Amino acid sequence: MELARKFKSLFSTVPMLGWMLGTLVAVLIEYYWGYDYISYYLGLPKIPVLFGTLIMLKEPLMIPGALGYDLIVYIIPILTVAKLTTGLTNPLAAVMEKLPLALSVLIHLVLFYGVLQLWAGINDYRVLVIKLTMISIILTVSINVINGYQGEFSCSHPGFMAIGAYVSSTLTLILFANDKIFGAALLPPSLGPWLFPIALIAGGAAAALGSLAVAIPSFRTRGDYLAIISLAFMFIVKSAVENLHVIGGARGMGGQPDFAPLHVIFIWTMLCIWIIHNFVTSIVGKALNTVRDDEAASESMTIKTRKTKMTAFMFGAFWAGIAGGLFAHVLAYINPGMFSINRLAEILAMVYFGGLNSIVGSIVGAVSINILGEALRPLELFKWIIIPLILIFVMIFRPYGLISFKEINAKRLLKARHKRTPGSDHVSSEKELGA
Amino acid sequence: MRKIALLTVFAICLAMILTPTAFSARKTIIKIGINAPLTGDIPKVGEGSKYAAMLWLEDIEKAGGLEVGGKKYEVELVIEDNESKAESAVKANTKMITQDDVLAIVGPQSSKQAVPSGEVANKYNTVMISPWSTNENTTLDRPYVFRGCFLDPFQGPVVANFITDEFAFTKAAVLYDVANDYSKGLAEVFKAAWEKKHGAGSVVAYESFTTKDTDFSSQLTTIVKSGAQVLFSPQYYNEVPLIVKQAKNLGWKGPIVGSDSWGSAELVSLCGKDCNGLFFSSHYAAAGAKGATKAFIDRYEKTYGYIPDDVAALTWDALKLAEQAIQNTGKITGKVAKDRTAVRDALAQIKDFAGITGNMTFTQEGDPIKCAVIVKINDEGQFEFYKSSCP
Repeated sequence: MELARKFKSLFSTVPMLGWMLGTLVAVLIEYYWGYDYISYYLGLPKIPVLFGTLIMLKEPLMIPGALGYDLIVYIIPILTVAKLTTGLTNPLAAVMEKLPLALSVLIHLVLFYGVLQLWAGINDYRVLVIKLTMISIILTVSINVINGYQGEFSCSHPGFMAIGAYVSSTLTLILFANDKIFGAALLPPSLGPWLFPIALIAGGAAAALGSLAVAIPSFRTRGDYLAIISLAFMFIVKSAVENLHVIGGARGMGGQPDFAPLHVIFIWTMLCIWIIHNFVTSIVGKALNTVRDDEAASESMTIKTRKTKMTAFMFGAFWAGIAGGLFAHVLAYINPGMFSINRLAEILAMVYFGGLNSIVGSIVGAVSINILGEALRPLELFKWIIIPLILIFVMIFRPYGLISFKEINAKRLLKARHKRTPGSDHVSSEKELGA
Repeated sequence: MRKIALLTVFAICLAMILTPTAFSARKTIIKIGINAPLTGDIPKVGEGSKYAAMLWLEDIEKAGGLEVGGKKYEVELVIEDNESKAESAVKANTKMITQDDVLAIVGPQSSKQAVPSGEVANKYNTVMISPWSTNENTTLDRPYVFRGCFLDPFQGPVVANFITDEFAFTKAAVLYDVANDYSKGLAEVFKAAWEKKHGAGSVVAYESFTTKDTDFSSQLTTIVKSGAQVLFSPQYYNEVPLIVKQAKNLGWKGPIVGSDSWGSAELVSLCGKDCNGLFFSSHYAAAGAKGATKAFIDRYEKTYGYIPDDVAALTWDALKLAEQAIQNTGKITGKVAKDRTAVRDALAQIKDFAGITGNMTFTQEGDPIKCAVIVKINDEGQFEFYKSSCP
């Protein structure tokens, strides 16, 4: 414990910029030497993905090799570079502190994206995992608006996602692709990537309209009843799509053009986080919390509870629709079976695992459930014992999820750290969280 | 502390720079990917594919590796679980192609996973053979995707012809799962084929239900009342016993005919005596098999304790096809991209391949031209060869 504290205080002077620089160096090492040198000398068949978990679980003999790889490629370079460059990165961070916050955040994001792109570029499998993880982040953050901030238990997210996926795919297929269902493209396909956001937003808007079907009956009901209504909504959407032959029915709809490369999904994810963060910290967001805590009291305090609930529902549904549209274009195939109770279980697991009422929590939940699911892949059936067990333990020891009731504080996150902070073993100062 | 760390990093960097770039090339291993539903809705299917693949690997290992152009290469299987989910199958395919450098992929089995996975395989120019997917979109416009079985548009008319020839019935009923693309597609094809033969309205009842329904009494009552002489139900093996039992209880007397999805060892153990005497179309029949088919069945039963399903037999054939194609390329260069294209070209040219599920020649689309088998569940509850029906 003493050692951990020392370790933490040693690295407490490293600003965000320093960590990014360290990661960049690590990624460059992997990029140039990962395959030919490092993994070769460690006796690994290839650069290990997901930090070697896949290979470790499959062939236990490879554990030292994979761990050594992580140490050489990631841990040592990141720590040394981050620490050694504090003299350079801290003044830089101090300069950026003087810039407008939005600009500073933008610079950091661009840097972060560069690192991510380099890291994922080594292997297309990483790209796919990151894409699907980011889509999960959008889904989790958006369901948190309803289930976390508003405190209702909504189960209709897969339904919203399906609406978004089908509407945006239909649009892109009609407009930009030659396919069997809708025939030749109406517009030149080269316009596709530019007009794709419109198709996505149309999908989101359709989902938001659909959400009224849940929101309006929910004025009369509370708690469990809302869960049932929203569950019913999900099944209605699924059966409706199954029986619509125009859009493929149960056979599904395939051949969506590839409009969702990594950077597009990254931009949408960041937009989603930013907008939802602003939404939940706005007056409407505060109103949401009061509705959650006591509806009658907030009504008497002149909050229009109906309007608040409806806005939150439509807002959450809109982003679920966007996530659905991106999902459809990543897989280039959708069928109604994808948007059923299994998907719901997955989304709920992510949001309750990560934490209610917190965007950071949602991100943590989405990333950890996705990465865990991928990393434990070789265990096959046992994966479905281990992940639920982890969930149960989290629910027992942290009933509101890993990180709950905390907001992102960008300013605090990106600031320069000249001095060692004495209370650095405290979570909030070390991590990116603020009050 | 810092000095030591620095020194280590420096030493490692130095070692890397000083070593000649031209390492002795890593050993060329032929890797074959298996994309199977080991967990999820149809785990038995995944198990069958996995076991068949393991038997195949055993053969290769016994021979000391796969011989290509006079050289023996070590073979490795990469078995991935697709959880019976589309996105998982896509992930598995991407992983096997970009991370594990597989030369060819066998699987996924059901169309739901095979259609999107085929897109991935085709994008990365890697041969994929789906042993069991009957949806035409799996191979359509995808030069790198092949399959080991016949298609739904072929199977539907085969069943319709068989019933007409065998029983001389004119009125049929259909019970299918509306949420299952396979079942729904086949039901539609059968209906079209039957009505073409016997005139419009000859399908007197066309009833549907949704996946995971367990009570079919209202649909079955309609069917019994409709005066149909035969019931066609293209369901997966886990739903068939429920349908058959409930139909009998409601007074259904006629035969019930199914499709290749019935062909699982589980069917008889779930259904018991009720299923005896029923027919279904399939890829092969275990009871009364001869030659290589029998050898495979015996070996599988001896190793794993039960008679293999059609999925296992088809996976075996798909692996044998891949093996043949790899051998036909003449040489392995060690450059995966080049080898994959060579395997694809060799596979497309295979003619009259003698598989244990019948002879195969690929069409332009990568679909095999092969015969269907009508299987009867005999009184011992075995799947018995009854009739063969060729295109």
